[in-house]
Amino acid sequence: MAHLSIQQLQVSYGDKTVLHNIDLNIQQGEMVALLGPSGCGKTTLLNALCGFVPVGSGSIFMAGKDITNQPPEQRNITMVFQSYALWPHMTVAQNIAYGLKVRRVPKTEIAERIKEMLEIVKLSGLENEKVTQLSGGQRQRVALARALVVKPDILVLDEPLSNLDAKVRLSVRHEIKALQQRLGFTSVIVTHDQEEALVMADRVAVLNNGHIEQIGTPEEIYQSPKTPFVADFMGADNRFVYAPKITGKAFRLYLPKTSLELHHLIYFRSSAASICKDLDNRNLDGLTLTGTVEQSAFLGQNYRHNVRHGEQLIQADSPDCWPLDSEVSVHVPPHALYVYPHMARSA
Amino acid sequence: MRASTRNILMIGPAAVMVLALFLYPLGFSIVSAVTHDDYSLTLTHFIKVFELYSKDIQFTVLIVLSSVLILALLSIAISAMIVLSPFKRLVAILSMLYRLPLFIPFIVAAQMMRTFLAKNGLMNNTIVAAGLLTPMDTVSFLGWTGIIITFVWKQLAFTTLLISGAMAALDQSQIRAAQNLGASRLRILIQIMIPQVLPTIGVALVLSTVTIMSVLSVPLMIGTGSPTMITADMAFRVNSYGDYHVANALGMISYLICAALAWFYLRQTIKEKGAMS
Repeated sequence: MAHLSIQQLQVSYGDKTVLHNIDLNIQQGEMVALLGPSGCGKTTLLNALCGFVPVGSGSIFMAGKDITNQPPEQRNITMVFQSYALWPHMTVAQNIAYGLKVRRVPKTEIAERIKEMLEIVKLSGLENEKVTQLSGGQRQRVALARALVVKPDILVLDEPLSNLDAKVRLSVRHEIKALQQRLGFTSVIVTHDQEEALVMADRVAVLNNGHIEQIGTPEEIYQSPKTPFVADFMGADNRFVYAPKITGKAFRLYLPKTSLELHHLIYFRSSAASICKDLDNRNLDGLTLTGTVEQSAFLGQNYRHNVRHGEQLIQADSPDCWPLDSEVSVHVPPHALYVYPHMARSA
Repeated sequence: MRASTRNILMIGPAAVMVLALFLYPLGFSIVSAVTHDDYSLTLTHFIKVFELYSKDIQFTVLIVLSSVLILALLSIAISAMIVLSPFKRLVAILSMLYRLPLFIPFIVAAQMMRTFLAKNGLMNNTIVAAGLLTPMDTVSFLGWTGIIITFVWKQLAFTTLLISGAMAALDQSQIRAAQNLGASRLRILIQIMIPQVLPTIGVALVLSTVTIMSVLSVPLMIGTGSPTMITADMAFRVNSYGDYHVANALGMISYLICAALAWFYLRQTIKEKGAMS
């Protein structure tokens, strides 16, 4: 049985429904990422989980116990906040000890557990510092220690890395993941950064407009997005509308398993496309089209080109920089194409 | 024009205003408190103040301290309710009600309290009508209790406005963080919120002290005459004897009381800031 089970959860602010019928099961020791653009309801889902916002309908079970209507202080779920939410009038040790004091843990045990926790998050020796004097990364680790020291049923992280600068973010990301694997706590992390979700989570739930679009392992989400939204959000941001009649010299689509009698929406990543001078006389599987280079930008490892094909503008990466206005062929192999029936046109 | 001349011209008008309307009268009062009519130095006015009015000075200090203490307790309680209560509609009503006294002058408040707190005033009549007391058992609240009640009633709006504002400005996630670590609302108030809004509580109480020290209408209308507050004595010296020297000496005393409280408050905040950094 799942450690945490969310069933048909619905949350509204006034007349506006923010979460629609969310179903989510999380196993003991698992780290699940809630991924989505801002306003998709991921933070609301966290707040509902913690008991900060009332639930409209549906239920939340923790280890088989219904906690839907429990106040936040009775659920054993702790959160690491985006702003860290450390108490500035307390020292590092006082911040971490707070949850234990509330639980009336004996003083000697509190001291031990703080020491242990500080070692785990690599802040030993800083117990008597004011939290206002710590750097962003250190504050983040205090917040993590404060939430973990009470041994929560679930640790919830709300965009924990968004306030850190790029370099610190990478190392803290790694630290949190390592810590999770070492201590084996169950956790839910909210993020809008797809890379963060892929790297950290065991499973990823992609949210859009208060619905879960897809839930699966990072590989599943990245390699076989089930909906156009997921494809787009996971970086396949080249969007192409395919109509049966457009195949010709300038545009060819061969897909072994898909009937091409209907309209389709096609998504692919710029990195999956390759640019050549001329592919006219080769019949390759996948998508092949010709176009004119309108713009190119240096990305470091390669160049990203904007290629104009009729009314569509697509982006394709290439190790070489193609001159502006040159006529090129762009090819995308079949496994890198995400194809969805285009409802509006087919109907 | 040189920069320094221009700067002096810029602050000139404001400086003249401060000098003319504030520093000159203050200096004049101080001089008047320590000199005879012929400007020779003397302490006789202060000796007179202590002979005649030391009871009233003690009374004033007691009234101010008890009012401020009750104010602190009540306004923290109301602010906490406004910020922490989950009942949003109740909070909306409460936050409208508590502000009403802000718009009522002291003299009107004092008049209302006279008719409300008197032996056969509105409050006692209501209690008698409810059958809780007989007319014989009722007591008048006019006197020191009435003065405190009026000051608290009037200043509560101001202190609550400041304190609840400071509480509401705290990062909401700090409160949530305590909540999901298992802390109750009372615990959050005492351990998380009050320590962080202490400076604001201090400001609200010091400003209230200064206001209370300067009100004449309330002790005159609600007090029983003796002992009374310093302001009433000052008015009496001026109106009955034209004795500005002793009135100014009394003013100096109340100024010193305020200054002592302000100094105490400043020392506390500087200490805390020192500990912070």
